[in-house]
Amino acid sequence: MPELTYLEAISDGLREEMRHDESVFCLGQDIGSFGGAFKVTEGLADEFGADRMWDTPLAESAIVGAAVGAAVEGMRPIAEMQFADFIACGFDQLVNVAAKMHYRQGLAVPLVVRLPSGGGFSGGPFHSQNPEAWFLQAPGLKVVAPSTPEDAKGLLASAVRDPNPVLYLEHKHLYRRLRGEVAKGRYETPLGEVRVARPGSDLTLVAYGAMVHTALEAVEDLDGARVEVLDLRTLCPLDREGILGSVRKTGKVVVLHEATRSCGVGAEVCALIAEEAFEDLDGPVVRVTAPDVPIPFSPSLESAVLPQVDQVREACRELLDY
Amino acid sequence: MPQMGVSVAEGTITAWRKRPGDWIERDETVVEISTDKVETEVPSPAAGRLREVLVEEGATVDVGTLLATLDTAARPGEAHADEHNGESGEITSAAAPRSAPRETARGSAEEQSGVVSPVVRRIAAEHGIDVARLRGSGRRGRVTKKDVLALVNEQGGAGPESAIPAQEGDGGRQRAPAGERLSLMRRQIGEHMVRSLKTAAHCTTVVEADMSAVEAARGRLSYLAFVARAAVASLREHPSLNATIEGEHLTVHSEVHLGVAVSLGEEGLIVPVIRNAHDLSHEGLATRIADVAERARSKRLLPEEVEGGTFTITNPGRFGALLATPIINQPQVAILDLEAVTKRPVVVTDEQGRDSIAVRPMTYLCMSWDHRALDGVLAARFLSSVRRNLESWSG
Repeated sequence: MPELTYLEAISDGLREEMRHDESVFCLGQDIGSFGGAFKVTEGLADEFGADRMWDTPLAESAIVGAAVGAAVEGMRPIAEMQFADFIACGFDQLVNVAAKMHYRQGLAVPLVVRLPSGGGFSGGPFHSQNPEAWFLQAPGLKVVAPSTPEDAKGLLASAVRDPNPVLYLEHKHLYRRLRGEVAKGRYETPLGEVRVARPGSDLTLVAYGAMVHTALEAVEDLDGARVEVLDLRTLCPLDREGILGSVRKTGKVVVLHEATRSCGVGAEVCALIAEEAFEDLDGPVVRVTAPDVPIPFSPSLESAVLPQVDQVREACRELLDY
Repeated sequence: MPQMGVSVAEGTITAWRKRPGDWIERDETVVEISTDKVETEVPSPAAGRLREVLVEEGATVDVGTLLATLDTAARPGEAHADEHNGESGEITSAAAPRSAPRETARGSAEEQSGVVSPVVRRIAAEHGIDVARLRGSGRRGRVTKKDVLALVNEQGGAGPESAIPAQEGDGGRQRAPAGERLSLMRRQIGEHMVRSLKTAAHCTTVVEADMSAVEAARGRLSYLAFVARAAVASLREHPSLNATIEGEHLTVHSEVHLGVAVSLGEEGLIVPVIRNAHDLSHEGLATRIADVAERARSKRLLPEEVEGGTFTITNPGRFGALLATPIINQPQVAILDLEAVTKRPVVVTDEQGRDSIAVRPMTYLCMSWDHRALDGVLAARFLSSVRRNLESWSG
């Protein structure tokens, strides 16, 4: 199997989906001949032409709105936001139109919005956010956040095939830092299934996206403790049984995410565990997240805000000793 | 002699575990004692050499009496020949993993956290372990899930204890391959059944019933509807069986909400409840049973349809079983089991009192009941009433 970066895996996934199905096309700012802000779509315009690689104006509402229209008409659009942060400008089209179309009119909206998200590169408050939780409050949307090249490609395929609007969070920090084996050709990673990134029995560490790698590093050598790392992969719908099964085994849980704390994915996971696995808990359910603040520009302040390996290690130790 | 509860004034030495000259680790058991309230082991408050035993086995002394003296200035490994090697500080470890909690006679409040996590509370309750008397390996002596599981393992893998899966890495014990995890339904059934067996004082009473009258009347209806009708009528006569018990509280119900166990094949079983079953004829019951069974199998039961039962009937008999001792559906006090109806030679007596042998469709009505709530006489009366209702069936 070829080894690809996380970014190359997404590009490969886009290419496979477009080859596989003529109704798949991409739209976004400078995604055509320029290849996109991060060069994820580089070369695709050469292969598929400008008709299937639309360069759009700087207008997220128009990008998402046009994609919704195309999806309703039977196309399978993949919209790119230059940065996940700017989805805020297309919010209405997404949460009021796309998310409710099936409920109101019975229409499928097979739409994918790619959201380059996350910080760690001094991008500051407009270019570093993790906005996934915004969408958990809009029933009708699905949200995925792959952490490996393999899942990046597989989840993209599933997102494209899914009849619902799917938000696809790709973590910028992983783009060129992470390499991994990726199978050639089309394959799908099912939505709504956690991946056990590392098996264990003493504590469950739940993470997704780039934080999966922070989690793995943190528990690599944790005084011999066997920590199970769960990679959520899909944030909506959550794999309830996958999470609860691990909690029933370990009795202790740390939930880790890079997004801010209040009402985040972690809060939802904690609530699920409190409701469904209370009698299996052997300690408080703990969150490690960014605090409820904007992401600072300053490198030292940014690393103080984003969860770091030592912080995760300390939280796990505390809970293991409880 | 430690104070084993506020009201306890004295204690008896059951056995000395150590003799003078023995090296003792801190928290190692020195002596077993017995009081009005508990029998327990007394751990050593410190490491040292047992210098002198002051109270003989069998003697009863007041709380506060000095039992023995310990030389805490002594060093291990310099005593009589058969002393354990104390250097490792692991005298007890042959039997107990290090993480196992030690029973402590003191359990003083300041050295224990007092926090009992939900999972520890549950496991302890399932195994009759008093967590308050343990010292665990967690923060401030908190008993952790590992501690309580280690204690369960220590107490022996036999019996219901083995229902608790040993966790990976517990004392490094060898285990068979993990196997496939049970389905959620199987786990829930398992948990309910084990809890019921641990909660209720199960006792099973059996009567034999002649189903000739029912056979003549039933046409295409199942036996179950007739037995259900007969049982409901008998429950109205004997309401003590139409009851639920929770802790020390028994509630006798005036309405009969009848649970009917429906098998879902290998997947498991579910017990939908037919509300106000006393309002229904046997035909009405047959219709309702068929309805809930069909919807149970197609997973269309509403949540409220599997709650609030006051009595349950189970009917595995159609698969050929003759006798069974069913497990009570908590918090009810009894469950009636209808077994197979089979033709058997029986002695029948005619009006003139003459006996003869006849071939009759017979069945066993087996009922498990909770001895906390009622006694055998009532169970027998109730079952006899059901039998009479069936044998004298006239439509």
